[in-house]
Amino acid sequence: MITGPTGLVDLLRESARRFADREAIRHRGTATTYGELWRSVLAVSRALRVHGLGQGERVALLIDNSPEYVAAYYAVLHAGGVVVGLNTALRGAELARQIRSCGAAALIAAPDHPDLASVVGAGNTIRMVSCTASQADRAAPPGAHAWGDWASATDAPDDSPAIDASHPAAIIYTSGTTGDPRGVTLSHCNLVANTQSILGYLGLTAADRIVNVLPFYYSYGNSVLHTHLAVGGSIVLENSLTYPHLVVQTMAQESATGFSGVPSTFALLLQRVTLADYDLASLRYLTQAGGAMAPALTQRLRAALPRARLFVMYGQTEATARISYLPPERLNDKMGTVGIGIPGVTIEVRDEADARVPAGTAGEVCVRGDNVMLGYWENPQATARVLRDGWLHTGDIGRMDAEGYLSLVGRSSDMIKTGAHRVSPLEIEEVLLELDGISECAALGIADEILGEVIKVFIVPCAGAALDARAVQAHCRARLAAYKVPKEVTFVAGLPRTASGKVKRFMLKEAG
Amino acid sequence: MSAGEQVRQYILENFLFSTDTSLLGMDDSFLGRGLIDSTGMLEVLLFLEETFGIKVADNEMVPENLDSVNRIAAFVARKKA
Repeated sequence: MITGPTGLVDLLRESARRFADREAIRHRGTATTYGELWRSVLAVSRALRVHGLGQGERVALLIDNSPEYVAAYYAVLHAGGVVVGLNTALRGAELARQIRSCGAAALIAAPDHPDLASVVGAGNTIRMVSCTASQADRAAPPGAHAWGDWASATDAPDDSPAIDASHPAAIIYTSGTTGDPRGVTLSHCNLVANTQSILGYLGLTAADRIVNVLPFYYSYGNSVLHTHLAVGGSIVLENSLTYPHLVVQTMAQESATGFSGVPSTFALLLQRVTLADYDLASLRYLTQAGGAMAPALTQRLRAALPRARLFVMYGQTEATARISYLPPERLNDKMGTVGIGIPGVTIEVRDEADARVPAGTAGEVCVRGDNVMLGYWENPQATARVLRDGWLHTGDIGRMDAEGYLSLVGRSSDMIKTGAHRVSPLEIEEVLLELDGISECAALGIADEILGEVIKVFIVPCAGAALDARAVQAHCRARLAAYKVPKEVTFVAGLPRTASGKVKRFMLKEAG
Repeated sequence: MSAGEQVRQYILENFLFSTDTSLLGMDDSFLGRGLIDSTGMLEVLLFLEETFGIKVADNEMVPENLDSVNRIAAFVARKKA
């Protein structure tokens, strides 16, 4: 049970009250103050309710990181809705599955997504659409409301309906091992608890200013957003790492105090940018999550930015975002670990019988705390597999030392981790099997210097089928987000299988 | 084949998995169309360095030089001049 703020809206309201004229967000050279952001939140909240949004109804967002995304997110919460931040890199069919899964009543979108029409029509549940301005002169779907009309009202009252902290606030879709979309359902309490825990160890203040490259629709970026807004800090949005030195240039120009990344973010910066050429003296903290970073890369990062405190962290969407952190002062003697549980979170390593194992013994990482999700949206079977007796079974394999520092040694599932993304092999395989001429196939991750893993597929063609790698990749590109397209395609005569018929992925990995 | 045509062919084959030139205009923005992400850009740089024998400095990695086929072709021409 939490005391104090019931939801994230309370935290933003307080920041808007204390720091109305201070910059909350900077995007494409334009500043949005806390006062402006809060007025947009109230205006959009009112518009959603005027147009019929009911309590607990889902509102999907299909917008890249922007002030509009932030205002929409908080407006949905303020209106008593459940916010669903969609991954803008996904294609129409992938998005449509998520819309149908959550039964979204409303969609707030940028009209630039190439598959927007199929998203709007998915499942016939969407009753209202609001579109932000297009960056590419694309027209909004017929009947869509203009975001500008919604957000520009200046007289909307702060009349948020009473919110029960234990009720759903947000759904984040994540790839499950079955390939079906799994909507991680987070309560208001989850979001506030995780935000406050992170604030506790990062020590963020209103003086902090982060340059953010992480998408807000993933849990890591989501936590960066909420933590900085909760303390009145500011967030400079850089939505692409395609030109890495421009990101570092922005960090220098904006006197950034913080920067957060996944291992591939830091690998890319260290490979392509001479960090010493930039004045990054303001940089106070770096955070790294989203998969284990090799100790050698951690050392290089520390050597390149010795004045910044580096927080190595571990988390999972099912735990809102954050589970553990390694205090920077222990980085040397606990290198290779992901640290200790964050405030309010208990971690245990358990065996297959669900019994706690002694220090030093490997087992499944299990977590308990106010950050643990309510469950997967309308999927009690999948929920029951990971939530048992109040404990989240993460599927990650780890071991804990005598001081409680956790090391991750693998995953119990076959999920592919490429850059910041988790990809289900089954999802790739299902799409491949739609292509004529494929008898069977297997997708897996193979090592990559920058991304950690990239996707490789092994395909057994049907007799007489004329397939080539490019046709396979083009088929995937038309149906899947770009990061899910296999980098390598290998044709084989058969797949190695166990006696029960399961593909021996480890053998393919070794062959890969 | 001109540098521009070589670049277009490379982008088509490696990011659109096609040889259909109608799919990529010479001035289409790679970022605007979501064609090339950060690691994709590293592959493009490798291609440019290997194909045209140029070395791309970090501070030359800007959209003005690299965000369309024509921009890359002009950049390559400047580098080789």
